[in-house]
Amino acid sequence: MPDKKVRVVIIGLDGVPYELIRDLAAKGVMPVLNDLFCEGALFKMASSVPAVSSVAWSTVITGENSGVHGIFGFTDVADSSYRLVFPNFANLKATPFWEQKLFGRSVILNVPSTYPARPMNGVHIAGFVAPDLGKAVYPPALVERLRSWGYEVDVDASTAHQSMELFLRKLNQTLEARTRTALALLEEPWDTFMAVFTGTDRLLHFLWPAVTDSGHPYHQEVVEYFQSVDRSIGQLIECLKGDEALVMLSDHGFEGMRVQINVNRFLLENGFLAFRQAPPRSLNDLAEESVAFALDPARIYLHREGRYPRGKVRKDQEEKVLQQLEKAFSELQVEGRPVVARIYRKEELYRGPETYRGPDLVLVPAEGVEFKAGLRAETVTEPATLFRGKHRGDNAFLFVRALASDWTVSEAPSVEDVKAVLVKLREAERA
Amino acid sequence: MQQEHNAQKTCWNCPALELRGHVDFRACGQSMRKFMSEGQAMAECKRRPELGLFDPSSITFEECPEWEKGPYGYQLRDMRVLILGIDGYLGWTLALWLGSLGFRVAGVDNFNRRRWVKEEGSHSVVPIAPMEERIRAAKEVLEIDIVFREFDILDNEKLQAFIEEFQPEAIVHYAECPSAPYSMVDFEHAAYVQHNNVIGTLGLLFAMRDLAPEASLIKLGTMGEYGTPLTGRPIFEGIFPADAVLHWNGREWSMGGELTPRDPVSFYHVSKVQDTFNVYEACKYWWLRSYDVMQGVIYGVHTDQVAADPRLRTRFDVDEWFGTVINRFVAQAVVGIPLTIYGSGGQTRGFLALRDAMQCMTRLILSPPEPGQYDVVNQISGVYQVRELAETVARIAAEEFGLEVEIQRLENPRVEADEHPYEVVYEKLPKQMGFDPQVTLEEEVYEMLKLLTQPHIRERIEAIRHVILPKTRWSGLHKEVEVLERYKVKPRKAVGLGSDGDREDDLKCK
Repeated sequence: MPDKKVRVVIIGLDGVPYELIRDLAAKGVMPVLNDLFCEGALFKMASSVPAVSSVAWSTVITGENSGVHGIFGFTDVADSSYRLVFPNFANLKATPFWEQKLFGRSVILNVPSTYPARPMNGVHIAGFVAPDLGKAVYPPALVERLRSWGYEVDVDASTAHQSMELFLRKLNQTLEARTRTALALLEEPWDTFMAVFTGTDRLLHFLWPAVTDSGHPYHQEVVEYFQSVDRSIGQLIECLKGDEALVMLSDHGFEGMRVQINVNRFLLENGFLAFRQAPPRSLNDLAEESVAFALDPARIYLHREGRYPRGKVRKDQEEKVLQQLEKAFSELQVEGRPVVARIYRKEELYRGPETYRGPDLVLVPAEGVEFKAGLRAETVTEPATLFRGKHRGDNAFLFVRALASDWTVSEAPSVEDVKAVLVKLREAERA
Repeated sequence: MQQEHNAQKTCWNCPALELRGHVDFRACGQSMRKFMSEGQAMAECKRRPELGLFDPSSITFEECPEWEKGPYGYQLRDMRVLILGIDGYLGWTLALWLGSLGFRVAGVDNFNRRRWVKEEGSHSVVPIAPMEERIRAAKEVLEIDIVFREFDILDNEKLQAFIEEFQPEAIVHYAECPSAPYSMVDFEHAAYVQHNNVIGTLGLLFAMRDLAPEASLIKLGTMGEYGTPLTGRPIFEGIFPADAVLHWNGREWSMGGELTPRDPVSFYHVSKVQDTFNVYEACKYWWLRSYDVMQGVIYGVHTDQVAADPRLRTRFDVDEWFGTVINRFVAQAVVGIPLTIYGSGGQTRGFLALRDAMQCMTRLILSPPEPGQYDVVNQISGVYQVRELAETVARIAAEEFGLEVEIQRLENPRVEADEHPYEVVYEKLPKQMGFDPQVTLEEEVYEMLKLLTQPHIRERIEAIRHVILPKTRWSGLHKEVEVLERYKVKPRKAVGLGSDGDREDDLKCK
């Protein structure tokens, strides 16, 4: 049964940048959000490094950095091998807030990287990457109801390669089913309710220019999509009693993309990376003379002796290789502009027992630059074509509507601070 | 040390692969589609669920503990192989062969082959036990457990139920009527053979789509699908190589990757060609994976397993419908029927000993294609003229067994060229899968003569001598074929079988 503490509602809008959500609210596209924003405080928030959903949401729900929760990206390399794995909820080394007693009975809908679902006090429907709905849902009995509501974990982004109309139609269908599901779950008993809308991120990847360019052929559709998201949030809010604390947030921001840099191709062309066969099938074709390789988007790993089967970089060589890599990436320019805004070393980013598994360097891209770590790219640079938007790390947003006045949020919050906000909100007693 | 032929195959080739969909990090998107060109495939392993989701390109057979080193390459531990047509000449031999290697073997048969041979008034000249006894003996003598079901694979419901129950990781499809003359008897026989073979295979493909899409299908075709192109162009392995070019009218096109022409030589062979297209399309539509095995003419009677106990012997047919040429020659030599060659006897074909066929099939099973990959292998170990084969059998029978053997040329009952060029490409099995033939023609003919000259088998050949000579004409005429010529092969020096001596008398591959 719900307890006497303040109930907390968390609504996620994946990838929506601070400036955009503020504008959409202020200009009347998202009137529900506009009204809500008047009742609380809206912040620009820093994402994780790298600014990808798997890391950012894992940080949001645990309050820990990757050195503790162990999620460094959508991919990782299994210990002592070249096996590329897709870490998921089973690999998360820290506890998500809903597994803490404080948060009571929870309904958790579509939080990325929480697949497969596992027993908890409440309901959990995992977000992407979640290839099997049957394993994405707790309690399992809910699966059939979800199917009857037309619930999909995510829009099939590959449809955008076929037709933007089809993609938009699927995006709207996914949103409708997600909203229907959220409304049904709101009727269950809960103390904490969290729902993440991920279609926003998918839309912005393909149609970022359509957001600001009113002459873009899909401008109207993009505006209508955000209106639909606003209506969905409105429907959820209507089901609330009004005495709940409310948090809204995105996990990272967005910006336009002008060029893609293929990091592994750069490593290859500059002698840091070599493969046993061309084109390589996987990291398993890494040659022993390789000193570094990258995982998406721009996590650079030294090919260490003892850590990888054919690794040859000895401990006493590491610093020298790192400096060479930093120099090479710092000097990389496209059209006269550097592509790297900042290079982090492992120890600057991560603290905790999982740190040893993290990348040795993480590149933060300059504005408009997208890093990718595919192995078969034939050029270092690729122009932006179908993908026109990309993640940005410094302009996520956080909105908090608290019921008590004694809470505080840092003026420059990051995704690592969200969990503490939730705890604070939840600890308050209901009036 | 030489690397095993399948060491660098990856989870894409493994039947334990469970594709889960794709992620595309450029759009943070996932797709439940298993096969697409965009994005990164995600897989799970049915055998090692602890691996979670991973990139199926990043584990090789060499690295995977489920694939252990065996005599024919890395072998999937307890790999489940379903043999359709397990009661036949090849099916039974393969069941015992694979069982001895540690595979888990299941099989299906409806004993049609026993009925077809009986219809001719014939029988297997090497006595074979009923299936129950065969299975019991396999357990007693070789400690092999074989799961058997009796049904017709045209009964798709039963086939589906058994596939669901056994969960095969490879399916060997021998369950077809393998006789060209049988298909040429009359309309009923032609229609029966085509329905049995084509629809049986089609049903199997649908069952695989729904229940075993990750299993590889090793489908028995025949070299006869190609015919004998009179231009003398090479007979490629089913698919034109990358550098094949078509010139026409001053222009040229690459033919690489296209199916090569087929020119089947009987309604039975037509059924095999239809199968080829059905399998090819199924791989394209449903991402099934298959080797279409263009097998040459098999001869021989011996593997260590079938020779281990009389109850384990495989069938050996020598009648005009189901006897293959070398096997029939040996039986004729044993009972003093002149060895019959059609026309000039210049027909050239690819041949393979039974034991070597088993080795090839094992290597194919252990080297599964990737999802969607349809591939063809020409499964032979040598190319011989029929006339030369008859002379070899006659010589060994005379020199090693003291048999008086004549050869007779008959009017050809078939429609085929009896003198023609024949250049077969057979490279995939030896060069890509490590196939190393272990049996010479002379050794296997010797083994056959040794077995067939035993009194009880000689008696069984005598009992069916009236069905050995050809009566079925491609033209439909019901008339005895005429003898054109009869002659004896001049004896030569002993060939020194079993010794390491001079082998200059061996037939040379063309």
